[in-house]
Amino acid sequence: MLLSFFIISVLICLAMLLFRNRVLTRILMWGYALMHIGLSVYAWTRLDLTELRFFTYTGTGILLLSVLSILAIPVVYHGFIYTAGDDTRRFNIYHASLVALMTFMTGAYLANGMTVLWVFVEATTLAVASLIYHDRTAVALEATWKYVFICSAGIALAYFGILFLGFIYGREDAASLSFTSLATLVNQANPMYLRISFLFVLTGFSTKMGLFPMHTVTIDAHSVAPPPISALISTTLMNVGFLAIFRVYTIFSTSSIFPFMNSVLIIAGLLSLLVASGYMLKAKHLKRMLAYSSLENMGLVAIAIGVGGIGYYAGILLVILHSLAKSSMFFQMGQLSRVLHTFKLDNCGRYMKLYPSGAMVLLLGMICILAIPPSGLFISEFLIFKGMLANNQWALMISAVILLCFIVYAMSTRIMHILFSSPRNADENIEPGKVNGIETVSQYILLGIVVLMCFFQPSFVSDLINHGISLLPK
Amino acid sequence: MVIYLIIMFAISLVYFASAERLVTYIRLIGIQGLLLCGIAILELIEINTVNLIFIIAETIIIKAIVIPYLLRRITKVSGVTKVHRQAMPGFYLVILSVAALFASLILSWSLRNPYVDVIYMTIALFSLFTGLLLIVTHRLIISHLTGFLIIENAVFIFSIAVGNEMPMLINIGILLDIFVGVLILGFFGLRLKPYVNELTMLKD
Repeated sequence: MLLSFFIISVLICLAMLLFRNRVLTRILMWGYALMHIGLSVYAWTRLDLTELRFFTYTGTGILLLSVLSILAIPVVYHGFIYTAGDDTRRFNIYHASLVALMTFMTGAYLANGMTVLWVFVEATTLAVASLIYHDRTAVALEATWKYVFICSAGIALAYFGILFLGFIYGREDAASLSFTSLATLVNQANPMYLRISFLFVLTGFSTKMGLFPMHTVTIDAHSVAPPPISALISTTLMNVGFLAIFRVYTIFSTSSIFPFMNSVLIIAGLLSLLVASGYMLKAKHLKRMLAYSSLENMGLVAIAIGVGGIGYYAGILLVILHSLAKSSMFFQMGQLSRVLHTFKLDNCGRYMKLYPSGAMVLLLGMICILAIPPSGLFISEFLIFKGMLANNQWALMISAVILLCFIVYAMSTRIMHILFSSPRNADENIEPGKVNGIETVSQYILLGIVVLMCFFQPSFVSDLINHGISLLPK
Repeated sequence: MVIYLIIMFAISLVYFASAERLVTYIRLIGIQGLLLCGIAILELIEINTVNLIFIIAETIIIKAIVIPYLLRRITKVSGVTKVHRQAMPGFYLVILSVAALFASLILSWSLRNPYVDVIYMTIALFSLFTGLLLIVTHRLIISHLTGFLIIENAVFIFSIAVGNEMPMLINIGILLDIFVGVLILGFFGLRLKPYVNELTMLKD
């Protein structure tokens, strides 16, 4: 199945690039989205089984793959709307790059070894670069350059970490560098090597996860990319970075460096919250504000993993729900820019009057992202704080709460301004655009799932999360 | 023989810190490509011939020819010839570079292990630090690219140390090479303004 998936994906990309036909591209895109959903359904029936030697359907991998499948339909739908005015060449390059990106992310989710995972993560950089540069503007060029340069440097650092892993055990013992072979040998390793390896891997893959101190490129990229792509890279691509770090964390968790890793994750997470809160308070660009909100959520995920215990469950739940809520907000940004013709906060206002169905998405999305009940994120953040209390980490809890208060204030005041206030710098000559309310349906569905998860978490989801964290110390 | 090549590689890294002209950077990158080719031939003799030929071809074609060629084109297009006009003076960089060499030596010695040669680890770490130093202290985009290429060479040296048993690791490192050579240098190098502080459109 997986081999067929990869082959068909390559053929779809080639067909889009070779046959410059918009109708064919549309058919192929919908076909690809359906095939991806089919792969996810298939993956649920193949838990812990290995395919093509280098790929395993692990619990966490299946969950994140399913999130990508859920987002595939709205990403394709909003992508068609966004690229409707493009010439056929750019239209096809956009969609071929999108297929490549989703395929590379799928490979990264299912990879069962460090090297294969690294190759797929590197490949996502290529596909994303093409998508960020889609508009061919000077800003897009600057954002793409920064993203590619910092990600490449990060990926090189992560590779250094992988090479350190190769030195740990002796050359023959872990020649494949698969997670299973590394996990069986970790206790014999020199802790200093493990520490260095973890630091390199964390720093390197943070460029994808968007954690401090490598967060700057993701902020720029998410704010410049087309909104459907921002929706994808601010969620599922960040999840790739998370998964890479989480895999290494899981392997090393039985070694003596476990407390060291927890401390590093908590520090990185807390600094991410600090940076996010500071910049959200001065944000004047809507997409940048949402990008900083992603930094905040990834910071919380790092803290959750560092806290341990119930935090593991909460962290993975937060990753899933954040993906659904944040992507709906970014999809809405696409419509907002068509109505208000800007992302600048000072030029936005009266959105509730101009486009009520979109405004309700922003309002509901804000409630979800800020973890205000009935958002499912409330459950995950509640569990994270419960984990901190269980560990008597009072200073951490108080610091996190204070920083979250700043974030809640910054985001809510800005969203309320867009919905109900008049624009500060209104340009009277620009007529508000018209957008069909039906375009918001997918966003309501995504936010509906987030709200539903506050009251009811299906056993198939919670079982798979618990399966994914079963190897971690209790 | 390998030891002489490695020492020459280390000298080239110190030379980067003192160099003032971009043409020197470009020559040094080309020379490093040739040195890495020599090290790969002498160290990876045990791996299968096809793989060895691939690695040698990659170091010569990509590292010693294509990348210096692209760097030269970027220099011509941008019209910038000197690196230190808006950067830290070369004297301080040399001091930092030597300090990085000692730090690498101490770190490698403390991490010595029966499976890896201390010299390889020292030079790989020194190369990594030099690359980071160039990126942090310089304002020219081409200096940043050079810094990244040096980091990439560090990865290559490190991967050679395990290459006999894990040729796949070297091949993956080569992917990074091609990625950098083709995409970053070929695409962005020719389109961007020469100085980093001119890229200011994205800010809060």
